[in-house]
Amino acid sequence: MDSIIQFVQQDLGNPGLAALLSNPSFAFIQLMNSFSQAMNLFIIAAGLSLIFGVLRVINFAHGAFYMFGAYIVYSVAQEWTGNFWLGVFAAGLGLAVVAVVIERGLFQYIYDKEHLMQLLLTFAVVLILSDVAKIIWGTDQYSVSYPASMKGAVDLGVTVYPTYRLFLIVVGPAIAIGLWLFTERTRFGRLTRAATQDREMLSALGVNVPMIYTGVFILGSVLAGIGGGLAAPFNSPTPGMDATIIVDCFVIVIVGGLGSIWGSFIGAIIYGLVFNYGSVIVPNWQDVFPFLILLAVLLVRPWGLFGKPEGGNA
Amino acid sequence: MRRLHLVAAGAAVLLAGAAQAEEIRIGVLYPIAGTGAVYGEPAMHGHNMAVDELNAAGGILGKKIVSFARDTKLKPAAASAAAKELITKDGVDVLVGGLSSAVGLAISEVARQEGVVYVATIPKTIKLTTEKRHDHVFRTASHTDFEGDAMGQIVAKLGLKKICDIQLDYAYGHDLAAGIEKGLKRHAPDAEKVLDLRVKLGATDYNAFISQIMGAGCDGVTSGLWGSHFVNFAQQGSPFGLFQQIKYISGGEIASHEIAGKMKGDYPDNVWSNTYELWYHHHDPSHVAFQEALAERSGTGETAMWPVLAYIGVKFIAAAAEKAGSVDADELAAALKGMSISTPVGPRTIDPETHQADTGQFWGPMVKKEGAEYRVMDPVTFIPAVIAE
Repeated sequence: MDSIIQFVQQDLGNPGLAALLSNPSFAFIQLMNSFSQAMNLFIIAAGLSLIFGVLRVINFAHGAFYMFGAYIVYSVAQEWTGNFWLGVFAAGLGLAVVAVVIERGLFQYIYDKEHLMQLLLTFAVVLILSDVAKIIWGTDQYSVSYPASMKGAVDLGVTVYPTYRLFLIVVGPAIAIGLWLFTERTRFGRLTRAATQDREMLSALGVNVPMIYTGVFILGSVLAGIGGGLAAPFNSPTPGMDATIIVDCFVIVIVGGLGSIWGSFIGAIIYGLVFNYGSVIVPNWQDVFPFLILLAVLLVRPWGLFGKPEGGNA
Repeated sequence: MRRLHLVAAGAAVLLAGAAQAEEIRIGVLYPIAGTGAVYGEPAMHGHNMAVDELNAAGGILGKKIVSFARDTKLKPAAASAAAKELITKDGVDVLVGGLSSAVGLAISEVARQEGVVYVATIPKTIKLTTEKRHDHVFRTASHTDFEGDAMGQIVAKLGLKKICDIQLDYAYGHDLAAGIEKGLKRHAPDAEKVLDLRVKLGATDYNAFISQIMGAGCDGVTSGLWGSHFVNFAQQGSPFGLFQQIKYISGGEIASHEIAGKMKGDYPDNVWSNTYELWYHHHDPSHVAFQEALAERSGTGETAMWPVLAYIGVKFIAAAAEKAGSVDADELAAALKGMSISTPVGPRTIDPETHQADTGQFWGPMVKKEGAEYRVMDPVTFIPAVIAE
């Protein structure tokens, strides 16, 4: 093993890889970093994927919803109450309201329009929301404190790891399972799956399809709000944060397969692993790797790892 | 209808031409909207304050100053297009501003091509006044060699031996890393650089880098992560105990009050950093009046650091135009060489050779202050812009 490390360090000239090989706790921390980043991204990407799966709309404004979630946590948790969890709750609630207004007021009119029209409309919403955020919160960069109970770190034996990050690692799978149970085991979930298959037939059977659409849009948007709220302590609420996140989310949902919850879950984990190990092993290429994976998936399996090929049921 | 438009447009052009002789036109380039507005907005406060003061005193050469502000969107391409438009469409006499080193270099290139004077108030890449210098570019901001030299002095003072360097992966970060390298050699020759990290501009996740720093066994971290980059880095590093393990010496003005005032209790321990101005520190007697006027304009007494930079840029242009008796580019450039003015943060002189102002900065540790919910720099040390060879 030592000779391998020496080979990597000296002949390959890769101190990052050598550090990973020689220091198991460092390798482990990067694994934890990958998961915690992935789980936060999953929560947001799952909302985007869910909305696309049912409404067939690629919502560019999803990143703006995430940004609003982070800002709401700042206002409620940092400025008014001092209670972080109340802030996250408010972020979810706030985004539910925003979702109703936007879905009923705008999106419901474009479901049968072509994709380009939909993209243009959601993009217009992005621009409007980023200005609204600027009017409400200004242009300062804010900082949100960690919840008091999760400020520190936990000793995992191998290494200490921040409590809040561990919390994210737990909460991500919990949300994934919750979403899965919801779509597979509840009546509303069954109806949403039916709506993705054949909305005319569902409507003919007397189901209020527009209501299902609104419901799904709210759920997806609430996920973006909560995701943004949970990100706020380590991701300072600031103008422009919407643009960064939406790109990451697109990579994740396309790799995982648009419309698939577990696809987003696996996509997020792949993204986290590639980002965190990539930035150690090939620091100059760290930004390229997620997109190389995206490219590979698009070439080999354009509908994503867990998606279904388009056509037949559109 | 179309003809009417043409006539109207023609009349407007004529009127504009007539007005131009009566006024001095300054083209202002800051990121006014979007992500960069957090800096551009306060910078515009300082700019407008200087212009209003000058106009109240009769303008420049007896002519009223009119500002034409354009959004640079923090992007070199947008800044370059905006600078060209300012010159060709608005007929500005001089360009001022620029935020981010890449943007500064882009504006400077337009100034070179068009033969218009550009006063760079914020960009710090050393290249602007070395290999990319031309007849018409002047800088009133500090630069990466001054900053790196000061950081070398602090590393020596704190007796740090093993240094990790983490920088943003663009012009400013690269040049600051080089500046620090030189500063360390000069002041702390026995300090060893053990880790070099480069982070994407606009990055939000720093965990992978934080664990590398913590694993590298360094006692000092040198950095230029500015603005929200630093906020995120600190928020992600604190739970790991990063700031208990190392001393964090940073350029990028993260000691400015807009960072400390917003982070409050979350601002980490063991940070030594710089700023151009502190509302609570009166280095020069004239700062008191400046700060009061700025407070009124900003709507808060705890003002940001950016306004003074934009303010000084305008004051240099005004002083040079008065001295030259003209705003002709070549005469203005000649007057700016060796020009000295007094500013709210002390006297400033532009070097006639390098076109660089001797802009020193305030450096110090960020400490908790009793009674205040945010951290303040204490003690404040002014490190002048001198590199002793």
